[in-house]
Amino acid sequence: MRWCLALLICALVAAVNALSSSGSRLLVVLDDTTEKSSYSTLWSDLEGRGYDLSFESPKSDQLSLFAHGERAYDHLLILPPKSKGLGPALTPKHILDFLNKDGNIVLALSGKSSTSSAISSLLLELDVHLSNDRSAVVIDHFNYDTLSAAEKHDVLLLQRPNALRTDVKAFFDGEGVLALPRVAPQTLGSDSQLLAPILKAPTTAYAYNPKEEMPSPDDIESTGSQLNVVSAIQARNSARFTVLGSVEALEDKWFSASVKAPNGKKVPTVNREFAKQLTGWTFKETGVLKVGKIEHHLATDGEVAAEDLNPKIYRIKNETVFNIEVSEYVYDKWVPFEVPGDDKLQLEFTMLSPFHRLALQPTSRTETSAVYSTQFVTPDQHGIFSFRVNYKRPFLTNIEEKHEVTVRHFAHDEYPRSWAISGGWVWIAGLWSVIGGFLAFVVVWLYSAPTADKAKKTQ
Amino acid sequence: MAKSSLDLLLKGSSGQNTRGLLRIVILLTIAAAAVASRLFSVIRFESIIHEFDPWFNFRATKYLVENGFYSFWDWFDDRTWHPLGRVTGGTLYPGLMVTSGVIYHILRFLTIPVDIRNVCVLLAPGFSGLTALAMYLLTCEMSTSPSAGLLAAAFMGITPGYISRSVAGSYDNEAIAIFLLVFTFYLWIKAVKNGSIMWGALAALFYGYMVSAWGGYVFITNLIPLHVFVLLCMGRYSSRTYIAYTTWYALGTLGSMQIPFVGFLPIRNSDHMAALGVFGLLQLVAFAEFVRGFLPGKQFQKLLTSMVLLTFGLGFAGLVLLTVSGVIAPWSGRFYSLWDTGYAKIHIPIIASVSEHQPTAWPAFFFDLNFLIWLFPAGVFLCFQKLKDEHVFVIIYAVLSSYFAGVMVRLMLTLTPVVCVAAALALSAVLDHFLVLSKPSPESQAKANAVDAKSYQGMKSPIVGIYSHFSKAFVSGSMTLYLLIFVAHCTWVTSNAYSSPSVVLASRAPDGSQMIIDDYREAYYWLRQNTPDNAKIMSWWDYGYQIGGMADRPTLVDNNTWNNTHIATVGKAMSSREEVSYPILRQHDVDYVLVVFGGLLGYSGDDLNKFLWMVRIAEGIWPDEVKERDFFTARGEYRVDEEATPTMKNSLMYKMSYYNYQSLFPSGQAVDRVRGVRLPAESPQLNTLEEAFTSENWIIRIFKVKDLDNLGREHSNAVAFDKGLKRKRASKERALAF
Amino acid sequence: MPAKRHAASTASAPAPSTPVTLSSGPATLKSNSSVVDIATHVWQQYISNTPQRTLLLDAFMAFLVLVGGLQFLYCVLAGNYPFNAFLSGFSAAVGQFVLTASLRMQTSESSSAASKPSSKGKNARFADEETEGGISPERAFADYIFGSLILHFFCINFIN
Repeated sequence: MRWCLALLICALVAAVNALSSSGSRLLVVLDDTTEKSSYSTLWSDLEGRGYDLSFESPKSDQLSLFAHGERAYDHLLILPPKSKGLGPALTPKHILDFLNKDGNIVLALSGKSSTSSAISSLLLELDVHLSNDRSAVVIDHFNYDTLSAAEKHDVLLLQRPNALRTDVKAFFDGEGVLALPRVAPQTLGSDSQLLAPILKAPTTAYAYNPKEEMPSPDDIESTGSQLNVVSAIQARNSARFTVLGSVEALEDKWFSASVKAPNGKKVPTVNREFAKQLTGWTFKETGVLKVGKIEHHLATDGEVAAEDLNPKIYRIKNETVFNIEVSEYVYDKWVPFEVPGDDKLQLEFTMLSPFHRLALQPTSRTETSAVYSTQFVTPDQHGIFSFRVNYKRPFLTNIEEKHEVTVRHFAHDEYPRSWAISGGWVWIAGLWSVIGGFLAFVVVWLYSAPTADKAKKTQ
Repeated sequence: MAKSSLDLLLKGSSGQNTRGLLRIVILLTIAAAAVASRLFSVIRFESIIHEFDPWFNFRATKYLVENGFYSFWDWFDDRTWHPLGRVTGGTLYPGLMVTSGVIYHILRFLTIPVDIRNVCVLLAPGFSGLTALAMYLLTCEMSTSPSAGLLAAAFMGITPGYISRSVAGSYDNEAIAIFLLVFTFYLWIKAVKNGSIMWGALAALFYGYMVSAWGGYVFITNLIPLHVFVLLCMGRYSSRTYIAYTTWYALGTLGSMQIPFVGFLPIRNSDHMAALGVFGLLQLVAFAEFVRGFLPGKQFQKLLTSMVLLTFGLGFAGLVLLTVSGVIAPWSGRFYSLWDTGYAKIHIPIIASVSEHQPTAWPAFFFDLNFLIWLFPAGVFLCFQKLKDEHVFVIIYAVLSSYFAGVMVRLMLTLTPVVCVAAALALSAVLDHFLVLSKPSPESQAKANAVDAKSYQGMKSPIVGIYSHFSKAFVSGSMTLYLLIFVAHCTWVTSNAYSSPSVVLASRAPDGSQMIIDDYREAYYWLRQNTPDNAKIMSWWDYGYQIGGMADRPTLVDNNTWNNTHIATVGKAMSSREEVSYPILRQHDVDYVLVVFGGLLGYSGDDLNKFLWMVRIAEGIWPDEVKERDFFTARGEYRVDEEATPTMKNSLMYKMSYYNYQSLFPSGQAVDRVRGVRLPAESPQLNTLEEAFTSENWIIRIFKVKDLDNLGREHSNAVAFDKGLKRKRASKERALAF
Repeated sequence: MPAKRHAASTASAPAPSTPVTLSSGPATLKSNSSVVDIATHVWQQYISNTPQRTLLLDAFMAFLVLVGGLQFLYCVLAGNYPFNAFLSGFSAAVGQFVLTASLRMQTSESSSAASKPSSKGKNARFADEETEGGISPERAFADYIFGSLILHFFCINFIN
């Protein structure tokens, strides 16, 4: 089943000549078609990467994310609407349904206008919180563009982010400075594992509404790196949702602008590269893992016959081998997946709780995939176990493989026979001496029968 | 065996020949009647396996037939007790399955195309015919009167106490076990009477067969040693006893150890120790007898006393030591509950929760045995009068099994044979005396009267005299009347009480026409056709075997209650809040939850009525998390209506049972017809489960366990969002506070 | 057979005044300190009264006792690791012993029925009621073979 799906996707990818691993139909939701022109570099970049762009206004009657119950588009790029809300076709419920059906979404916010309550409640469902004051923007008095925001300090200049942790791959790193004008900040709920910050505000930043008075320090809800400029949500089905705080950063103007930080040199922005990284990641051009074949079998010398592969049933204390083939998609091709340095791909052999948790070692690789494998002895406990590979890391699609196998007890003829145990020889000797004695006795008895009869008579 | 003893009867003069022929015809008729009366269920309903356990036996038999004996022996069943699995081959009594498998293959060999299901359905009636024959043989050993055997066979054939477990479709271990029980006893009596190794060995063989068929073999294991022990105490030791018992014990014990499930139990378990003790005792007595042959009395007594004291002390100390050190397992729980009816209730709720393990209600004796129950003491009295070895056996058997039958409903089954024997003895004595006795010659009349008066004190008045035609006619007439009433009663009970498959229910519509309620099968077939092959179904254990058999889906727990903790886990999941239950369900890979709800139809055997048992069993393992007290109101009532406790209302079982039930009624009018109460107007909320299927009469409700929310939300929040509710601001404040 | 001697009757034990210290059950055939004369008396009686064929039986039984005793001793000393093997080996000896004892009773009973009619003492009343032993030595022997074969089959199956 999984194979068929993978093949189908490959075929699909090949047919439409798209780069994304999950389709090329991209819907851009624009409030005003005149606005379209200010993002022309972005559009052409996206089209150049094989996307099939359609533009709709949120008010449009034709706009619908679904056709006949299926997704009408693979990806969605929402630019902040001027009006209140996104209209009847893009209610939060629709957007979540779109996510649930594996659609990917980039949602751009803007600090220029206040964010609509529909978007706010949509983000709330995802545990992404906007500032209480919906018009707040991020201000930083140390990292701002001296050329364009000398007074307001609301154009942030940031380095592209490095890897989130040492065991996570970096997808957004690189040289250069990003310019992010008028960022609507987000904060992330602390208990969701699906959220990951892509770009955090500097520690010296804070948020406030420039139209109002400078707030007292008590009113500032969150500051510094608590504020997110760009955040990512990857749902359990690996659908991706990115919130970009500053829509202006995507404009042509900022793609080609040069900026100068306080005490810095004047440098061109790398917004264009970052936009590519961001849309590329969100639309599944990077960070996509695919599991190829999964094989498990008894450990044997030499080749394993096809019929011995992936048996449904093992016995306790069997020596077992498990292989999993993993590929990663990087922009336009599948390459072997390599686990980041500090990380491990792990296999669990579980029944209710793991009996084994083993690191899978890379053993071989093909052009497009790496094979990880391990070998272990099934525990001394019968039951229905499963091989589980559960690899969920930020920015990588989830691997959650679960293969049930039965581990049975020793069959009656798999125990050592009595004669194979030296301790049993005594009893065997005893038993056979009894039987031998019996036979001898019977023979003697039968021979002695006539005399016994005589003896009886004489008595 | 029947044939050979019948052959004996056929020998002799032509009169005996006719009598023998008549006897065979009568026996065959009885067997036919026994079979026929058990076919009510097939006629009323259809050829279907009944109840719960038979479904497992049926499934196991199918496995045996399909995969052969060896893989049956090593069968590891991964479709029950998920995810533990069950070593089925080593934990069942294979006698029943092997028997029907053999019958099936023989029929196949004879090129009779037959479905294994029909073999299974008809096995119990077939064996009940054999039981009647075995009963005849057993009773013939007790009495010289041939009518006793025939009567006993007839009683055994139709008595409801036995029919209850052997109607067509009741494919349970008891179906063949009662035949084996009776036949083993017959062989044992034969062995004791003849003192022959052969009979003893045959008894051991059938005992082994019995062991392979039913856990109730322990009854034989204790009854026979007790018989021997009592004989010894009565000073009736003879070499015949020695031969019969030692042969039986040595061979029978070895034979029983061949069954994987029994294994080393016969020398480890205290239940079996009596047999071993008597075996040792018998050796001593035999040796003493042997020595006595050579010695004058005085010295012998000296020798004996010292020997007895010494060995008794040693043996007792050894037994205590072994039991304390754990080499010999302590008495099993079911056994304790035999002695102390309150024991199970306190210590092992799982045993107490089974309705068949409840103490018997007194009317049940009359219901199951009718007038046999008052002929029974008379028969036992007659046994006291004769008091040969075999009569001692009947007496012991009668005393023991009466007690046990009073303790546990299902042991009524072991009582039934001895009641039939005793009643037949009594009745045949009465009939023989009144019908066969010709008027004695005047000179012997006085003597005969004296004898009769002595033996039947109080049974009749000596003034009338038993030789007059009137008294003969009166007594035999009344006896015939009783017999006819008995037959009518048996037929009525069989057709009304014991022929319901309980998978298919029958009820009467107001106009008197019969309605078949087939919700169980409807739901099981829905599962079979609409769920993936390895979808795990959680239900209370009562339905485990049926789900395994009919729906062919893996279950968490079933009627083989070998793992109390696992059952308690299910009980906990059912009786806790959703937030607690959901992780349990996820951990056990549960895909669907099945509950039985009788509220709409008034079907009282539903899960809410069993709910307290689930709570109790769960409380046994998690006393801190599940408390029975919380399910009762402050006034100590078990309520499901508006005044039910919050714990009750929040429990998964309550929610599943009443989910959407209110929508069937006008607002505020919802009524539970089993418990006869009006329900709250609001339907309970289910967040982590969604309704998948509800059968026609709402008896079975199946719920699907939701996956984790795709966006990482709590289920309650996701459900609220889907209903269009705005998320509360409070949650945002909380999140921001970090 | 020391293993089996751990249960006792409470029925027919009229306790005499003098306490007798007796070493153990099976040792009665050997000479003992206080009951030496009794034992020797028994032994002599036995030697003189037993027919040759019964002696043969007794020899076989003694052999079985020896085999069983050795196995039990080994079990106590060296542990019972393949428990099924021990059980089948030991119970083969025990089973064969009781079967042989049964055979001995049947044969000696019928052969010595004339010489010692009432060896059963107080059981005589019941013994008289029953018709007769009813089993010829040949039949008894056939039964014996039948029983033994079953026994051996079980044991070999159990020891696998």
